[in-house]
Amino acid sequence: MMKKFLATLLSVSIVAGMIGCAGGSAQPAATAEPAAEEAKEEVKEEQEAEPEEEEEEAAEAEESSEEPITLRMAWWGSQTRHDITAEVIEMYEKENPNVKIEYEFYDFDSYFTKLKTLVASDQVWDIFQLGGNFPEYIDKIYYINEFIDSGVVDTSKISDAYLKITQDTEGNQIGLSNGLNTYGIAYDVDMFKEAGVPLPTDTWTWDDFADAAMKIHEHTGNFGSSGFTSSEFIAGCSTYIAQQGSVGENSFFNLELDGMGFEDAQMLTPYIEMRANLIKEGASPDAGAEMEITDIENDFLVTGEAAMTWVAVNQFPTIYDICAEEGRTLALATVPRVKSDGPSGTVIQSSQMLCVSQDSQYKEEAAKFISWFQNSVDCNNVLKGERGIPINDDVRTALEAEATDGQKEMYDYVSLVGTFETPEKINVLSPAGQDEVVDNYRNYIQQVVAGEITAEEAADKTYADAEKLFE
Amino acid sequence: MTQKAERTSGFYSFINNTNTVGYVFAFPFIFGFICFSFIPIVTSFYYSFTDYSMGSKTLTYVGFKNFIDLFSDEVFIKSLGITLKYVLLSVPLKLAFALLVAFVLTRKSSMVTLYRSLYYVPSLVGGSVAVALVWKQLFARKGLFNVVLSDMGLKTINWFGDQKLALYPLILMTVWQFGSSMIIFAAGLKEIPSTYYEAARIDGANGRQTFFKITLPCLSPIILYNLVMQTIQAFMSFTQAFVITQGGPNNGTLLYALNVYNQAFKYNHMGYACAMSWFMLVVMSIITLVIFKSSKFWVFSEGGDE
Repeated sequence: MMKKFLATLLSVSIVAGMIGCAGGSAQPAATAEPAAEEAKEEVKEEQEAEPEEEEEEAAEAEESSEEPITLRMAWWGSQTRHDITAEVIEMYEKENPNVKIEYEFYDFDSYFTKLKTLVASDQVWDIFQLGGNFPEYIDKIYYINEFIDSGVVDTSKISDAYLKITQDTEGNQIGLSNGLNTYGIAYDVDMFKEAGVPLPTDTWTWDDFADAAMKIHEHTGNFGSSGFTSSEFIAGCSTYIAQQGSVGENSFFNLELDGMGFEDAQMLTPYIEMRANLIKEGASPDAGAEMEITDIENDFLVTGEAAMTWVAVNQFPTIYDICAEEGRTLALATVPRVKSDGPSGTVIQSSQMLCVSQDSQYKEEAAKFISWFQNSVDCNNVLKGERGIPINDDVRTALEAEATDGQKEMYDYVSLVGTFETPEKINVLSPAGQDEVVDNYRNYIQQVVAGEITAEEAADKTYADAEKLFE
Repeated sequence: MTQKAERTSGFYSFINNTNTVGYVFAFPFIFGFICFSFIPIVTSFYYSFTDYSMGSKTLTYVGFKNFIDLFSDEVFIKSLGITLKYVLLSVPLKLAFALLVAFVLTRKSSMVTLYRSLYYVPSLVGGSVAVALVWKQLFARKGLFNVVLSDMGLKTINWFGDQKLALYPLILMTVWQFGSSMIIFAAGLKEIPSTYYEAARIDGANGRQTFFKITLPCLSPIILYNLVMQTIQAFMSFTQAFVITQGGPNNGTLLYALNVYNQAFKYNHMGYACAMSWFMLVVMSIITLVIFKSSKFWVFSEGGDE
């Protein structure tokens, strides 16, 4: 009896085990996550879409000539962005009863994981959001030049300079920028004062930054600076390279995005050493603490456990408001420099853009939505520049008139960065495969913290990893 | 008459043939197996010899390059080590725990069913993202465990900040999900004839002796089964590492399946990820084979003799 039972179990187990491991490790495990998220999204969508549908039907009866169209759209961001974007989508659906927009939203990493699976299956969302990493997805982007020429996309209030920031070198309009953006360091004014540390100036250096972080940590027990948010590699590591030498002499990747923009890996060493030291001393969160940060709204600066954090400035008004509710004041400082009279390394760039997908059945409708999203003052009164400072002149004027304190700080800051000397040609794009380089780079810093390798070795390894992208 | 004609017709006998009936009923499985297991397995084997990536969709045959590259990949070697450590610690612990609870719950009491169900609950919810998130909170810097520790005046432990410690909460979570092995052990325990125990008691054996001389040997086939199953399952663990630690700190919890996922979907090296999967298949086959070969030294068969 027992023997038979066992024999059956074992034979089943072997078959199941083998199948499970071969197929399982590659496929189901991976799709489980996005699928679960998708399911959540769908439930949410359904709930929100229901009341809408009735109105839609009523409206459809009037203009029955137009065929119903369903557009799919997705973005990444924080909760605030999800809420306001959902709101403007409802507005658009009301104005255009034949259009229904199914939307999905993710955090940054999950967004790109999902996007990659959609690229593979040729099902990219009709309207999707991309940042400086668009070269990796260029095959899936439908250039909107023809829609601009035909007037579907209205660019009359957008200056050429702003159109250019989302064009490739051949003049193809990849998308329309959602806003201007640059990096900075958001800090808690009172925590600086409490620790008796002078407030950051426009020309402060990395040494000042590290000193401030250490002193604040010693005085308050808080983190001096928060962790490696998604901004850090570009705002910190890559900017650090651009700050060395004369303006425009060095950059992390070269202008053509086909090689490195600097030659000596050791140029990274002081920066890596500083980051590792701050973590070692407890002035910056270690890997475990960092895992607790899921998006900018629960960053340690916002929760009151850190005095500084890296931000893309479009994120600033949101966290400013959250902290203001608790009676805390945040301010923006420039990214520290290598030398106080050296290049700033920072540039004003597009925060992200909405693109039309090659896979879309309704490219024109998608472009129409993007045009509305960029140009409608009503729409942007809801969006409130959360994706960056709008590029449409009318919208910008309207928003500036009603700017909150946090937004004013952001506008001032962007104007300030605009006055910094910048190289004639800049490259703010990321090559395909950069994710792995960034992940490894973070691990190398942790290895320096653990004493497994030296900062010099970490710099060499990071350089070698980055170089490998272009083989 | 017409009925009789039909009965002799080819179609009727075909449809009533035992084999046909069998295949019809098995069709849902066969269909699912071919579409969702067999085809992906074959394609992944093919991809493992190419540089296929989902983003750019290019495909070049690269021979054994992916497999050779594995051995110079620091992250891969580290993740292989971490996974072995995870399996070696979590499987024996889990089985010991499952056996203990199953053993305790064999006594005749009306509450036994209730307890068994209660202990089975973690296995039902165990693989889910929700439980992993709870686990993350429990072991966070200011999570329940550290609050309790600091309330008792002890130093708090930075579980996920230290690469030497971070794996243990994950192991604990796996061990906590001992329900399915427990149920199988409980079934096995019931199969042991009570006459053995009576005879032992008459001979004056104490509880410990009966456990080691009767229970364990009689249960050894079941232990073998559980061992094989749990080992295979442990090698495939993904959710905990993905949700709780994302493989960090410093890849200290980068379980094999998570590494495969990262390579395939995050870094766009699908071909390389497929090669990793096939390498894992070989490793797991070898380990399973070793377990089976070793079984003749410790698995007691009631037939007695060979």
